[in-house]
Amino acid sequence: VYEVFENVAKKYDVMNDSMTLGIHRVWKDIFMHKMNPCPGTLLLDVAGGTGDIAFRFINYVRSVRQRQLQRKLKHHQNLSWQEIFDSYQKDQFNSLGDSQVVVCDINREMLKVGKQKAQHLGYSEGLSWVLGNAEELPFDDDKFDVYTIAFGIRNVTRIDLALQEAYRVLKPGGRFLCLEFSHVSNPLLSRLYDLYSFQVIPVLGEVIAGDWRSYQYLVESIRQFPPQEELKAMIEDAGFFKVDYENLNFGIVAIHSGFKL
Amino acid sequence: VKCQHCPPVRALQASATLRRAPDEHKKEPLTSSSQQHFDSPPAGHQPEQEPRGTHHSYTGQGGQESEDYESEEQLQHRILTAALEFVPEHGWTAEAIAEGAKTLGLSVAAAGMFHSDGSELILHFVSECNTKLSKLLEKEQKLVQLGEAEKKPIDEFLRDAVEARLRMLIPYIEKWPQALSVLLLPRNIPSSLSLLTSMIDDIWHYAGDQSTDFNWYTRRAVLTGIYNTTELVMMQDSSPGFEDTWRFLGNRVADAMTMSNTASQVQSTGEAVVQGLMGAAVTVSNAETSRAMR
Repeated sequence: VYEVFENVAKKYDVMNDSMTLGIHRVWKDIFMHKMNPCPGTLLLDVAGGTGDIAFRFINYVRSVRQRQLQRKLKHHQNLSWQEIFDSYQKDQFNSLGDSQVVVCDINREMLKVGKQKAQHLGYSEGLSWVLGNAEELPFDDDKFDVYTIAFGIRNVTRIDLALQEAYRVLKPGGRFLCLEFSHVSNPLLSRLYDLYSFQVIPVLGEVIAGDWRSYQYLVESIRQFPPQEELKAMIEDAGFFKVDYENLNFGIVAIHSGFKL
Repeated sequence: VKCQHCPPVRALQASATLRRAPDEHKKEPLTSSSQQHFDSPPAGHQPEQEPRGTHHSYTGQGGQESEDYESEEQLQHRILTAALEFVPEHGWTAEAIAEGAKTLGLSVAAAGMFHSDGSELILHFVSECNTKLSKLLEKEQKLVQLGEAEKKPIDEFLRDAVEARLRMLIPYIEKWPQALSVLLLPRNIPSSLSLLTSMIDDIWHYAGDQSTDFNWYTRRAVLTGIYNTTELVMMQDSSPGFEDTWRFLGNRVADAMTMSNTASQVQSTGEAVVQGLMGAAVTVSNAETSRAMR
């Protein structure tokens, strides 16, 4: 798995766009909307190498924070100018409302690309980058509000261990969210999807990234991955409650969610 | 009675410690008697338990859980109750729920269990208010039965009941219009409608059978109309102590009472009118036939 991603790191984003025809951006946006984080949330994004989820999180929290501040100002109509000025000062340096995201990945290359992207796009505060293995996270218990793993869990060898680790590092009341390719139940769509996956994607891999084999691996690993209900059962086994999933695009992608209660 | 789908019976490990920690927020601990609550009759008969939704919304979970653990439903209830405190500041939103979860020692992410528009919070609040009203009316009824209080005339009873129920909105009055609009969303209409009708039925139940010449549907409709219009007036009311609203309420109840008296008159008038029309119709058709025959 490590070598696959070493090859893939630099061209990761480009390949994502071409493989999914850019729809992966929409999937990730929907994912973020489902999370609906409020300012002050501590997020752990596992296998989040190039930072897509992390950046979306920061954007989302920033805009929620803006709205919060606006509402507070409206409330403060009756205060004196001095008081308003003071409250502005205090909140100005808190545009994220103490929210933070820790991006954890097993692969140094992916983290490097992520850091470069962050710099390039101007994300400076609220981000940390940590090298780590999903099956054995380098964090204490009960730390995070939300744990996400987007398109990463199928690459984990022992999914049950990763789920147990997720449970461990989450605070009580914390949420587990997983975005992953899943099974299409509709037979017609399934055939079209298979056709596209096995014929088109490895070719794109060769053309864009010069690497046929990694993308062949990718497509096969998608097929090997447990379907929605099975993954839901595994998440429940790890101790999560209110486990649910939402299919996007008829099951090509699914969002699983569970709570540590 | 609509029952919620039972979640798998599993103990919530974390909640065991949670329940011991914030003692200020703790109500009486759930005793094992409450675990059989699932099939027993609704609220009024379980005096010390945390208020649950009465007839229609969430019912408590029973089963093999021991005293220390609670079900997801009960935890959700506690979060929503805790969230109500933050509604005046944040509105009926996921933020209020997140703040409520925080006070219980849970992560803010727990708000993700609920819909982001705050529907569950509002429905929870409405059902709690209805339960409170039920208890209040039952208490009053007991007093009357024991002879310690006079039985109120029907118009006064209705007025007091509606006023008591509407007064529960006062702490949240600023954000209530927002709540009303959420309750009207197609998704929420079945629940909000059933909560409303069960509350109205409750009031009529405790009003006892006093002859008002109304049949059951009319009574329901009339009181629902009175309640809804008074609620809307209350949203706009800025008079001290909402005195304008209560005056409006008194007038509407009085109207309803007069209507019931004239109803029987209307009925007989109606019959007379119908007979007159029939007679006219017969006369006209006779005239036509006779003209045709000529």
